[in-house]
Amino acid sequence: MEVFVGQILPYITVAIFLGGITWRIWRWMIPRIVHNITLSPFPSNWVEAVMHPVVQLLTMWNVLKFDRGLWIGAFLLHFSLINILGGHVTGFYWVGEHFHVWAPNLVTLHQSKLASDFLGTVFGWLLFAAILILLYRRFAVEKVKLVSATSDYLHLFLLLTIVSIGNWMRNVRDFSVPYQVARDVLAGLFTFNPVPLPDNPFFLYHFLFVQILMIIFPFSKLMHTFGMFWERWIVNRPYREAPRGLPGAQIQP
Amino acid sequence: MPMIEVAGKQVEVDEDGFLADPNTWFPELADYFAKTEGIEQLTEKHWQVVNYLKDYYAKNGIAPMIRKMCKDTGISLKEIYELFPSGPAKGACKIGGLPKPTGCV
Amino acid sequence: MSANALRQPKKANEALMRSVGCDPVPDDKKVEAAIQHIDEFRKKVRSFVMAMESCVKCGLCAENCHTYLGTKDPYNIPANRADLIRKVYKRYFTVQGRLFGGLVGAEELTLEMLEKWYSYFYQCSECRRCGHTCPFGIDTCEVTMVGRQILYWLGIGPQLHTATAGAILKTGNHMGLTKAGIEDTLEFLAEEIKDDYGIDVEFPVDKPESDILYIPSSADFMLNPGTLKGAAMFFKYVGANWTMTSRMTEAGNFGYLMDQNRIQRELVSRLFEEAVKLGVKKIVWGECGHGWRAAKMYIPTMSDYVGSRRIPITHIHDEVAALIEAGKLKLDPTRNSRKVTLHDPCNYVRACGHCDVMRTVIRAVTTDFVEMTPYKEQNFCCGGGSGILFDDPDMYQYRIQASQKKADQVRATGAEILCAPCSICKAQLYPMVKEHKLPVEVHGLIDLVGNALVWD
Repeated sequence: MEVFVGQILPYITVAIFLGGITWRIWRWMIPRIVHNITLSPFPSNWVEAVMHPVVQLLTMWNVLKFDRGLWIGAFLLHFSLINILGGHVTGFYWVGEHFHVWAPNLVTLHQSKLASDFLGTVFGWLLFAAILILLYRRFAVEKVKLVSATSDYLHLFLLLTIVSIGNWMRNVRDFSVPYQVARDVLAGLFTFNPVPLPDNPFFLYHFLFVQILMIIFPFSKLMHTFGMFWERWIVNRPYREAPRGLPGAQIQP
Repeated sequence: MPMIEVAGKQVEVDEDGFLADPNTWFPELADYFAKTEGIEQLTEKHWQVVNYLKDYYAKNGIAPMIRKMCKDTGISLKEIYELFPSGPAKGACKIGGLPKPTGCV
Repeated sequence: MSANALRQPKKANEALMRSVGCDPVPDDKKVEAAIQHIDEFRKKVRSFVMAMESCVKCGLCAENCHTYLGTKDPYNIPANRADLIRKVYKRYFTVQGRLFGGLVGAEELTLEMLEKWYSYFYQCSECRRCGHTCPFGIDTCEVTMVGRQILYWLGIGPQLHTATAGAILKTGNHMGLTKAGIEDTLEFLAEEIKDDYGIDVEFPVDKPESDILYIPSSADFMLNPGTLKGAAMFFKYVGANWTMTSRMTEAGNFGYLMDQNRIQRELVSRLFEEAVKLGVKKIVWGECGHGWRAAKMYIPTMSDYVGSRRIPITHIHDEVAALIEAGKLKLDPTRNSRKVTLHDPCNYVRACGHCDVMRTVIRAVTTDFVEMTPYKEQNFCCGGGSGILFDDPDMYQYRIQASQKKADQVRATGAEILCAPCSICKAQLYPMVKEHKLPVEVHGLIDLVGNALVWD
């Protein structure tokens, strides 16, 4: 199992992940935007039209405006998730020394590692809390319960499992995995020279569940990551008003 | 479409119970439709409105603007709603055998 | 839930359906045909596909929909209403739905499901408030439109919409107005204007060589005389060479609400036939919410008539507002001195960018204007949007429920006049005012303009 999950499955996972996303976006591009169904107030030019979804994305503006409770959970989830994903990339690539690498005069090697540990721990717990908030909403808030399918709960449980194992490895010294070990595993995969996984069941399951998430990603609502841009491209486009004034009338504006 | 029998005669009505063809109207139908609209007995005032509607429809092929009907018959809108609880468009038109108004009414 | 327990408007019978060009599909073929239509839509209409594939079921739309607020029916949550098609879409057109079915909420299409479509897509008022509030901008209105179109193709449509489609095909307007009826009503209104304001106003119909073609809502001829009078007085005041046409006396378009493929096009074709015949240089639209959206946003992509590229179309509010901003209209707002509030018609504010135009006008013609909350593009629908003005007892009850939010909003303003510049809104608000016992009169916006014009 270790060999399969650590050295074979990742290639299948990535193929499905990238291929699936491409396939789904390909399917979105086939149908046309038939009529102009832009929502008003209209953006007056393309810069505004592009800025609108960017602002929506960065602030989750509509959620903030119309459902404060959801915003707390959703914003926290997405914000910590982005930081954790970023942390995985930078943290493993530079083995926790990235802050020092980016700003050698300001941050020492040791400080960089401490900061990396600290941020990882904090965002790990924030993400954990955010998932609990969203799960609570799905179970307890009537209107959310009414719109939920089984898969909506399962997505959250899957995330919760991944995050719990991750937090366990980060916070329980006996089960933690050094950056360098994780880096070797990933580097091996990227260079098509996979190395065995460390002898740590938590690492194995963390790695396995992440891959499951990546496999279902293109075939689930998680595609909203891209869907948002495609949807906003339809409903937030510029509109030019027809000129005013009644031809032939005695009074003109 | 459904058929109804009134005073020994068969006539066709639409899904809303309005007369399918205004030309098939006869006076006994008015009493019959009045009962379906919650009017026990048609009074002279009722007939004044119904006859006005029928004449207007025969001439113009459409029911009149409500305000015009009030002015021409001398019956206020309030009174018309008292005479025809379901409103002039629905109640009075139905009794007079006019088609049910469509669109935003 | 059995189909009998569903709230449904009265259906058109087969003969009526056939009379408007629909060829009903027999019951045993309906499911198969519907799936085929979904397949066609997903290959043609991106807004439909994105609505099918982007929802994360966050539940934010629930309390932003007046229909759910008024009925508390779970299927009236926009996400769930769209799910009536989405479930089927998942089952037949997605990997996850084919493999895992119930787990991801996929469902086989059945006749019972089609009955649910009919029930809930005709409770939706296509107001797009859910689209406005959705974090991703998912436009559930597009799903309702697809649902209604497919139902129509199968031979399922409400009596009201279908009979109205019949009137469109016969006369070019919703009410079935004849030229004789139109001219008689206008003559009457000209007399009223003479009596009230002492001015001679003409209402030209089918006048050749006109510059402006004014498109009134046909309901104005029956229920909203003030709106027609206001428009005529405005055109007279600015000295426009204008006319109406008896072949297309309709600002609305019920085709847009049921059969965009055929009936909606009928009115669009007539519009340009008439515009070209009369030689007009501009088309000015009357007070109608969905009709203005259908005209402003759909005609450029729907009409294959070359005139649609050359003859500009504006709304009468646009023209009034432009003149007010230029200081070219002499108005006496004290003639409309009672406290007035504005109901923002959904299609104006969320689809047509019409918020500020209406406010420019209403502020100039009234002295005591108060906003309701929420307002502008966040306003709630009157409850009659998309022509769900059904009068069978069950549906009438529904309309009154759906207008609860609106009634609360109006009451809170303490206004005496409720300005609602849209024929569907007016037709819905007249009974709403009665049933919720609101102390207001319902008027259009141009009504107030006509009343405030100062004649030298």
